Amino acid sequence: MIDEAGSPQSGDPASPPPPARRKRNLFPYLALVPAAAFVLLLMVLPIGQTIYHSFTYWDGLSSKYIGLKNFQLIFHNPVLPQILMNSVIFLISVPLILAASLVTAVLVYEKVLGWRVFRFLFFIPNVLSPVIVGVLFSTVFLPAGAVDKLLGGFGLGNFAWLSNPWTARAVVILALVWTSFGFGMVVILSAMTTVDTALYDAANIDGASWWRRLRSITIPMISGSLQFLSVINVIYTFTSLFSFVFVITAGGPGFATTTVDYYTYITTFENGQFGYGAALALILFIIVLTLTIVQVKMFPNREVQQGS
Amino acid sequence: MNTTSRIGRGVVFTLLCLVAVSTVYPLLFMALNTMKSSNAFAINPYSLPKHFSLSSFSQLFSQVPFLAAILHTFIVVVPAVVMATFFSSLAAFVFTKTPIKFGNVLFWVMLMIMFMPGIVILLPLYVAIAHAGLANNFVPAILIYTAINIPYGTYLLRSNFRSIPDSVVEAARMDGASWMRVFVKVILPIGRPGILTVGILTFLNIWNELFVSLVLLHATNTEMITPTLAQLSGKYSTNVPVLMAGLLLGAVPTLLLYFVSARVFIRGMLSGAVR
Repeated sequence: MIDEAGSPQSGDPASPPPPARRKRNLFPYLALVPAAAFVLLLMVLPIGQTIYHSFTYWDGLSSKYIGLKNFQLIFHNPVLPQILMNSVIFLISVPLILAASLVTAVLVYEKVLGWRVFRFLFFIPNVLSPVIVGVLFSTVFLPAGAVDKLLGGFGLGNFAWLSNPWTARAVVILALVWTSFGFGMVVILSAMTTVDTALYDAANIDGASWWRRLRSITIPMISGSLQFLSVINVIYTFTSLFSFVFVITAGGPGFATTTVDYYTYITTFENGQFGYGAALALILFIIVLTLTIVQVKMFPNREVQQGS
Repeated sequence: MNTTSRIGRGVVFTLLCLVAVSTVYPLLFMALNTMKSSNAFAINPYSLPKHFSLSSFSQLFSQVPFLAAILHTFIVVVPAVVMATFFSSLAAFVFTKTPIKFGNVLFWVMLMIMFMPGIVILLPLYVAIAHAGLANNFVPAILIYTAINIPYGTYLLRSNFRSIPDSVVEAARMDGASWMRVFVKVILPIGRPGILTVGILTFLNIWNELFVSLVLLHATNTEMITPTLAQLSGKYSTNVPVLMAGLLLGAVPTLLLYFVSARVFIRGMLSGAVR
């Protein structure tokens, strides 16, 4: 997605059809019809409806134009700053995911005995549903649950992890990091395999330390991947925590772990305020779009990927 | 090999083992605890089970429509995966290998909405589906899952098909092959690893997804696996072994798919995801 930003024309091979069949060929257009129809009818059109309905009072049956009323209500909602703040707090997961991905990738890259097996195993959390991971985490973090039992062995008492705002957030972040680092590792590994090994040989001859090689060769050479990972993980923090929040904390305690999409779900599907929900969804969409554009502009460095 | 690097490799290996324990042990934890009674779990969740027992599974099947939920999920996943993968392949082929005017406009639309929060589209779709009397019907769910997986599939396959040399396509065209024939005889075989990867990713996406299934299919006779599992945690918070049995079974299809396809899958992601 990102590498397209700078080079919109690069995808066109634009090979002219051979002279024998210069006649108009409809296949390319017909072949696009299914994908186009699905995307336009079931994605673009609904976005338009959500935008329209964000300016209406809408209970799911009838809707009435009310101008900016929904947005006024949202900005005066005392819960909203808390919810936006939660998303900002959940962004802590992004550097954690990047660090975990980088560390595991660097370790696997050392190619010690069984490194392929490790790569295989590290990706396992990534193929598990957030629902499964979330239910597992919520179970082991229950008071007197498996985690408390383990800590009890060190003489620590029981703790209501999911009833304290900060530990509840920490559990959600832990679940997110655990399921996400495998993908990051694979992405970083693939970038590392494109780094010219001659650079490492030269650094070895110059007596550069392991740490120095990591800092001065590996990280600069894979900065494109790190950027890619940071962009998608920032987006995921805003759009993909729904499942975790739904099963681990149900947004609580209070609103301490409620995200914008979870709050939108509650207001629309449980309270039936569809117009208000549409306005919330639109705000979330604008936040995500803005963050994506800002991040892509902030790091224009893409030469490493394009070379791979 | 000198001693320091030998020690270094030992440290690396140990660290890798520790991370591996963190990714594998939770599965083992679930599997071992399915064989305990809820009392035995409460006393020590880390002990080995005293004897082999499948009673958690039989409790699960008799008390929860679990197998039905698995069946419902397959009913939705299989057609959606086939359609999303096939239509993405076609679109990616058109974008990379055919001289199409304005084709990239559609690609840009897809890029812009690829990471869009699901709730933005699901809100009006849910209302429209309910109005049409199609709530708890598999067909809208299949169509929506197909749609939301097309942008990423097309994006991945587009970077994948780009690595197929244009000269191969041009040679086939020179020989008088139609575009359709080029797609079937050239792109599908050469692009197979990428297409398989997209199929697997789409399967994982839909199987693991909660939001769409929760909103669209909430009746018992249509409920998919993730909403079923989400409800289990409330129902069996005091009978954890049954809960673990459900979680484990819910993960089996995705784990199996990953185990049999890891090679092609990881390679396919490497060739597409990062470029």
